[in-house]
Amino acid sequence: MADGIYRLIYYSRNHIARDEGAFATDIEEILEKSRANNRRDKITGALLFNGGCFAQVLEGPLSKLEAAFERIQQDERHGDVSVLALDQIDHRSFPNWAMSFIGISDVHGKRFAGIGVSSGFDPARLGGDAIYLLLKELAIEEEDAA
Amino acid sequence: MNALAPFLIPLDVDPQAAPDPRHILKLLPRPVLIIGSDGVIIYANQASELSLNAVTGRGVSELFPSYHADLVRNGSYTTLLRSNRGDFFEAVFAPLDEQQYVIDLRPCIEAPATHPQDNFDELTGLVKRNSLLSHLSCALDGGQASSSVAIHCLDLDRFKMVNDTLGHSVGDLLLKKVADRLKAACRPDDVVARLGGDEFVVLQHDVEHTAAAETLAARMCDLIGRTYVINGNTINIGTSVGIAIGADPSIQASDLLRNGDLALYEAKKAGRGRFRIFEPGMDALLLQRREMEIDLRRALALKQFKLNYQPFVNVVTNRVDGFEALLRWEHPVNGNIPPLSFISLAEENGLIVKIGEWVMRTACIEAMSWPQESVVAVNVSPLQFKADTLLETVASALNRSGLPAHRLEIEITEGALLDDTDNVIQTLNALRNLGVKISMDDFGTGYSSLSYLQKFPFNKIKIDRSFVAGSGADSEAILRSIASLGTSLGMAITAEGVETAEQMARIRGERCTHAQGYLTGRPMSMDQIPAFLAENNLKEGAL
Ligand SMILES: Cc1cc2nc3c(=O)[nH]c(=O)nc-3n(C[C@H](O)[C@H](O)[C@H](O)COP(=O)(O)O)c2cc1C
Repeated sequence: MADGIYRLIYYSRNHIARDEGAFATDIEEILEKSRANNRRDKITGALLFNGGCFAQVLEGPLSKLEAAFERIQQDERHGDVSVLALDQIDHRSFPNWAMSFIGISDVHGKRFAGIGVSSGFDPARLGGDAIYLLLKELAIEEEDAA
Repeated sequence: MNALAPFLIPLDVDPQAAPDPRHILKLLPRPVLIIGSDGVIIYANQASELSLNAVTGRGVSELFPSYHADLVRNGSYTTLLRSNRGDFFEAVFAPLDEQQYVIDLRPCIEAPATHPQDNFDELTGLVKRNSLLSHLSCALDGGQASSSVAIHCLDLDRFKMVNDTLGHSVGDLLLKKVADRLKAACRPDDVVARLGGDEFVVLQHDVEHTAAAETLAARMCDLIGRTYVINGNTINIGTSVGIAIGADPSIQASDLLRNGDLALYEAKKAGRGRFRIFEPGMDALLLQRREMEIDLRRALALKQFKLNYQPFVNVVTNRVDGFEALLRWEHPVNGNIPPLSFISLAEENGLIVKIGEWVMRTACIEAMSWPQESVVAVNVSPLQFKADTLLETVASALNRSGLPAHRLEIEITEGALLDDTDNVIQTLNALRNLGVKISMDDFGTGYSSLSYLQKFPFNKIKIDRSFVAGSGADSEAILRSIASLGTSLGMAITAEGVETAEQMARIRGERCTHAQGYLTGRPMSMDQIPAFLAENNLKEGAL
């Protein structure tokens, strides 16, 4: 099979302890590992986090994407992973990000209010398209600011 | 004759006569056993008595801990067995007939160099049954009293569907991922085996408490149940787990596996994605089910089934509109067996299709003898749709009985729409074209997807009794919304299980069109119907 570029979007529930310090270390570790692996596998994307949930967009060659997703699926630091979309794409939307990260305390936090969620962002309420658009917009702004 | 011949012939036999084959067998210098399909030794020659301590009446598994009943199911072939004394034998299994097998045992002088390809499953790299059993026997033999092992038997839910719809190559990739996830869930010294197909077994070491086994089983259910992405497809399957804990040092490896299987069977019965721990009662339960299955297979032929009929009443006119046919099994020894206790069994073994045909035929014939043209409602199992003969069954039942199609109402549950929805809807449409009415039974208990109501124009929705009996605000709200949704889609609404006048008043208020329950009439036998109708018509006039 020709290994086309695919985009996978999922959200999941956070299983990491609530303790802030430990949590920050865990997130750091996830990001560090992700960025190294993704660079190797030509995977790009964005990871959104709000304390309760993760939402992630992954883009890359199908076989690598599937392998990365399988590793992510087996990760005990989250659960209830729901795949929202899996589609072949023509162009990457996050070409420069091995894994862009957007946390809730981000300066972009105000945007969540913009999409009508006041008591904390809940990706479960958004479809794949909405998450994708949101992440794309946020990542682009981040890129501009950098 | 070879050089052994003189050696084999006992001295009291005439040396000129041809040797008796039974003597040859008895004195053959290597062990030969004959066993029944239950694994019990029927014959043991002298060499087997000496070198294996074989005695007729014992189980082979006592001599060879790794012996498994599967070994005698697959025709004749050779395998390696290790005796309980630690000696290896090349064992040739050959069926004598369907009930009996010869095991020819050739001693291996040295412990055989194991061939990796014999011990490992090519697809997943997991160990196979033989290897699992030897690991398990070792663990049980050498087990210190303090630490036990647990056996987890798993099989995959919906795996067959993946194979059928996405093909075997995707099915194989899925099995590999399942194997990976199982290994990820276990500790490195645990043993993960694939016994074939979608059957896996995990041997867990150092299980100090039941809780440790439960934790692993729950973890496996969770991990295996998470979505897979394979060749661009997202795939969802699940697993059920049966656990058997080997705390008692006298237990045999094969018994422990069997217990795990029994627990798996119970886990699956409880619903998908669950685990169960083996309990001693489970054998008895299974035995009971086996006996019931044998009886069930005979019940049709012996005419032990009867239909009872429960009326349903139009709440506007107070008239009896029809009767639902209810299956009764009058067992000669155990008395009346309620459908709840045998329908699931009949669905499991496929008998439901034959039983369902009988119900359909009988209900149509019996309805023809009723004094008025009431409707007869007949339940149809999801499996009857799968069998693909439903349309024909209904058409021929109508034809043979002469019952006009509009007097037949078919009741299906949401379960029927769950798989293969398009095909089912096609069948439903064909049934409706015959003129038959279709109703949705037990609505509110299963998935209760309102989209099912959109997919097919049911004539009627039957709201489950729990919402009728429940007097809470929730039940009432649900009752009301299903009723108003149904009526707006042009469907009749039956409230099931109406038992009191107060409930009757309530469902009237909620726009239900029909009621069925003890208040409007209990299930009755065929011959009680005329009297019941006569009385009901009087009452109706009085209202
Ligand atoms: C929410 C979440 C997102 C993750 N995203 C990625 C990712 O994009 N790429 C990746 O390689 N690992 C990701 N991981 C980590 C994987 O689960 C896993 O720990 C890692 O891929 C293991 O890499 P290794 O096999 O190279 O040690 C993520 C984990 C979590 C919990």
